[in-house]
Amino acid sequence: MQDKITEILKAIADPTRREIFHALVIAATALPITQVSSQFDISRQGVTKHLKTLENAGLIQISSKGRERFCTADATPLLEISKWLKFYEKFWDDTLSNLGSYLDQNP
Amino acid sequence: MKDQIKKEQFFNHSISRVWNAITQQNEISNWFLPADFKAEVGYQYTFNSPDKEHCEPIIGVIQKADPYTLVYTWIIKGTNVETTVKWELEETTDGTKLLLEHSGISNYSGTTAIEMFNNFSGGWDNCIDGLSNYLKQEVHAG
Repeated sequence: MQDKITEILKAIADPTRREIFHALVIAATALPITQVSSQFDISRQGVTKHLKTLENAGLIQISSKGRERFCTADATPLLEISKWLKFYEKFWDDTLSNLGSYLDQNP
Repeated sequence: MKDQIKKEQFFNHSISRVWNAITQQNEISNWFLPADFKAEVGYQYTFNSPDKEHCEPIIGVIQKADPYTLVYTWIIKGTNVETTVKWELEETTDGTKLLLEHSGISNYSGTTAIEMFNNFSGGWDNCIDGLSNYLKQEVHAG
């Protein structure tokens, strides 16, 4: 697996890709690519390119059914980053507040 | 979405006082965790967990220790995930400003990151409550 978290962050740094990803997350089900591209004011090729980037970052899966290709969002990688951040945000807040109390008591 | 943590805190103490608190083993052991620590580049430090039975220590190597910048790698023992913690002190008119940065999560592949969080939920996030209580007791006893 080469899809680094940097790729995830880059993939969602683009506003259009973020919107596409958001639309898929909201849908909570596999959507045909044609339906996705009809929601956006850009060419189907443009949408396909964005979907490919999201797929490489592991944020969506694309599968074929008959002639149509479907895509599904997977927000797990984002949730994991957010969990890490949340954990250490609290950890460092607690730690620095303790350092402050310690310094005040041991000037 | 950001991929690092940044904290800024002001202390009403001199820059050398704060520097000692974050670099001296006996001081770190008082306000943070029981430490084996030397502020020397290349030194392999250990921050022991207050609950040794269930919580792995934090280990790492000092990358930089010039007054007033301290940088070390940060690894929860038993995992292969290395992140970086940077402490930067800045003198102000009435004290010291600390800038803390914890970064490096973006170096990891999606799979490793997920393993890392699984490790957390397996124990390390539970250790935090124990740690907070320990810190409170230590600081108030001191």
